[in-house]
Amino acid sequence: MIVLRRDDGRYPARLRVLSRPPETIWVEGDPGACAGPAVAVVGTRRMTGYGERVAREIAMACAAAGVVVVSGFAQGIDTAAHRGALDGGGRTVAVLGESIPVFLATVRGRRRPLVPRVRGSGALVSQFAPPVGPRAWTFVERNATIAALADAAVIVEAGVWSGALITAADARRLRRALFAVPGPLGSAASVGTNALIATGVARALTSPSDVLDAVGARAVTPAGPERDPILAALRDGPLGVDELAARTRIPLPGLSARLAPLLVRGTLRLLGDGRVGLVS
Amino acid sequence: MLAAAPSLAGAIARVPTCALWGLETALVTVEVDVASGLPAFQIVGLPDTAVSEARERVRAAIRNSGFEFPLRRVVVNLAPAERRKEGTGFDLAIALGVLRASGQLRRDPEALCLGELALDGGVRAVRGVMPRVRCALAAGSRDVLCADENAAEAAAAGGTAFGVASLREAVAHVAGDARRPPAAVPAPGPPPRPAVDLADIAGHGTPKRALEIAAAGGHSLLLVGPPGTGKTLLARALPSLLPPLDPDEAVIASALHSVAGLVDPAHPLLAARPFRAPHHTASHHALVGGGSPPRPGEVSLAHTGALFLDELAEFSPAVLETLREPLEEGAITISRAGASATYPARVTLVAAMNPCPCGHAGDSAAQCTCLPDAVERYHARLSGPLLDRIDLRVHVPRIAYEELRAEGRERSAAVRERVAAARERMGARLRGTGRRTNAELTVGEIRRHCVLGPDADGLAAEAMRSRRLSSRGVHRVLRVARTVADLAGADGIAAEHVGLALLLRGP
Ligand SMILES: Nc1ncnc2c1ncn2[C@@H]1O[C@H](COP(=O)(O)OP(=O)(O)OP(=O)(O)O)[C@@H](O)[C@H]1O
Ligand SMILES: [Mg+2]
Ligand SMILES: [Zn+2]
Repeated sequence: MIVLRRDDGRYPARLRVLSRPPETIWVEGDPGACAGPAVAVVGTRRMTGYGERVAREIAMACAAAGVVVVSGFAQGIDTAAHRGALDGGGRTVAVLGESIPVFLATVRGRRRPLVPRVRGSGALVSQFAPPVGPRAWTFVERNATIAALADAAVIVEAGVWSGALITAADARRLRRALFAVPGPLGSAASVGTNALIATGVARALTSPSDVLDAVGARAVTPAGPERDPILAALRDGPLGVDELAARTRIPLPGLSARLAPLLVRGTLRLLGDGRVGLVS
Repeated sequence: MLAAAPSLAGAIARVPTCALWGLETALVTVEVDVASGLPAFQIVGLPDTAVSEARERVRAAIRNSGFEFPLRRVVVNLAPAERRKEGTGFDLAIALGVLRASGQLRRDPEALCLGELALDGGVRAVRGVMPRVRCALAAGSRDVLCADENAAEAAAAGGTAFGVASLREAVAHVAGDARRPPAAVPAPGPPPRPAVDLADIAGHGTPKRALEIAAAGGHSLLLVGPPGTGKTLLARALPSLLPPLDPDEAVIASALHSVAGLVDPAHPLLAARPFRAPHHTASHHALVGGGSPPRPGEVSLAHTGALFLDELAEFSPAVLETLREPLEEGAITISRAGASATYPARVTLVAAMNPCPCGHAGDSAAQCTCLPDAVERYHARLSGPLLDRIDLRVHVPRIAYEELRAEGRERSAAVRERVAAARERMGARLRGTGRRTNAELTVGEIRRHCVLGPDADGLAAEAMRSRRLSSRGVHRVLRVARTVADLAGADGIAAEHVGLALLLRGP
């Protein structure tokens, strides 16, 4: 773990725009990952399949354009963003709402295997001295740090009470470019983001290239629309076999014959509830 | 000192009865010796607690029936003495033996005597009449003297059953003063109309297909989906797909119900495969059996039929863990205080659960409010022992309104015919092994009977090479693929059969 005081040359310059920059930050990985063009991709922990896909697509576009993805390593959208950056071969920085040792000792589930990958590609960053644990106030301070470390912020999905809205307010105060991803009407996970767009606080993100333009990066060959109807139907999240049959209009016997090789080759996976999903 | 009492050779009464332990039975002779000496009543050959209880009941019942309990030294021996026995059911035989040895009953009771006595001399029903009567039949004796309430069961088991309400009636019957008529053999009940027909269920083509495969091959099935999508309904349709119970299976399944005290007096022999649905608060004893004397649990009461665990995630993981042995072995051995009993438990397991704690993951009508890690934990709680035994896992989605209204659904009867035909193919393959379904194929049999066509072989080989399947997982897929092929009437297993098995196997 590297300890950077404010007078350290490796202390991220962008943090100095904060009214009260942290006196010290702790880093595991490369402190230099915080330089260069960066986009914050954040959102609710209770994401939908749509949110997961969009977060991933934005992060992968950033990775392809050489833009660092900054996020908070929470469950849900944050994790999807980090994973997308890593799977796209890019760099990602995780800004924690607690001290690094406490996080490492307690992280479980799908985030755990990502920890070494994040560390290897970019950095784990915390402004909290060990052994500070996660508290409401630590997340508030951390969200400002995320906004400061990036040149632009994208809120992918946020409910009415989502902490991602704090990051949005911070980004605006720091005059960072702010985008929100429009979501389906009636989706609880998009109430906050749709409101940001409706009130003009954030710009609607219509494509990952919107945010790349804003940070002066060039989008690299945006992926064309998915041709395979099965893969296209699964982009917004896993489906049951019958749902997949209805969406693709491929009846069951033929569908299972097409799904089996995709499962065996690892393009698709089966979930614990019997649904079929894309491997991400 | 008194002079030694004169020998009473020939005064020993012998009454036939039958002991039960678990599902094991053994003929027992109640020997009663009434000798001069200080009044005493001793019973040997029974567990201690059972002895003192039987003694009090027999003494009171004899007195309250207008007979005399001999004021001499009464010794009762249940031979063979070393054999394990449950304590009740011998009262009637002991009382008749005492009356015979003390000269109050003119003839030897020759029928198999089974019954517990009430203090007022009434004869009460006992559990396990069916296997005990079959045991006597095997030894060549047919007559049974038992409580009225047990007579139909004894008759259904093949005995000539004489039901009595009281010890007085039993004595009058044995002495020949007032013979009881033999009980009528109850007509086999009509197969009960299954509660749910497949045609009652809208949509759900894949879950129905999985149900058909489970019914045919005895494979275990897990239904997962949001609330109210029809999981319980689907599971309750399983009995309508199961092939009829054959006579050998009916005897053993009925005997298990008899031992548990769950016989329907009107129809003692089961007419259809059992479908047991224990509540998720069921204790481990209730689920797999136990206690002393031992009793079969739900998994054995479901033997030859299906065990349905609804709301699977609500069951305690410790209780579910105990299901591992019966699901693996097809039988459960209950050991307690050095004594053990084994009950068969060959069941088709069906379970249903929600996909996450809030129930709405993957629900097109509502958003899941669970944190991703909480969903993972929810599945992890179930993983391991039980999910390891699940062959088929299928998602039960919320269906569209138009589908609810759609006509032209296949009826259970049509599916049941395919299931029966597939079972016949399996039966022919497994003849002489005592096993009947593809779920029970051994590894050697898989090698012999699950012959893959060239394209199917490619798929299976790729699955194995990719290491996404353990060899155990491969065997499970092949067993299911065998059933899919059997349902299609195919000898070889084609790629589409393996494909469906892979798709329905779960992660
Ligand atoms: N596919 C269907 N076809 C016809 N009726 C249905 C269907 N799905 C649900 N229903 C109706 O909805 C009721 C609830 O279904 P059911 O109890 O099987 O749901 P469930 O999936 O078990 O829900 P839960 O998760 O709450 O236990 C049924 O009694 C039935 O009337
Ligand atoms: Mg239910
Ligand atoms: Zn949920």
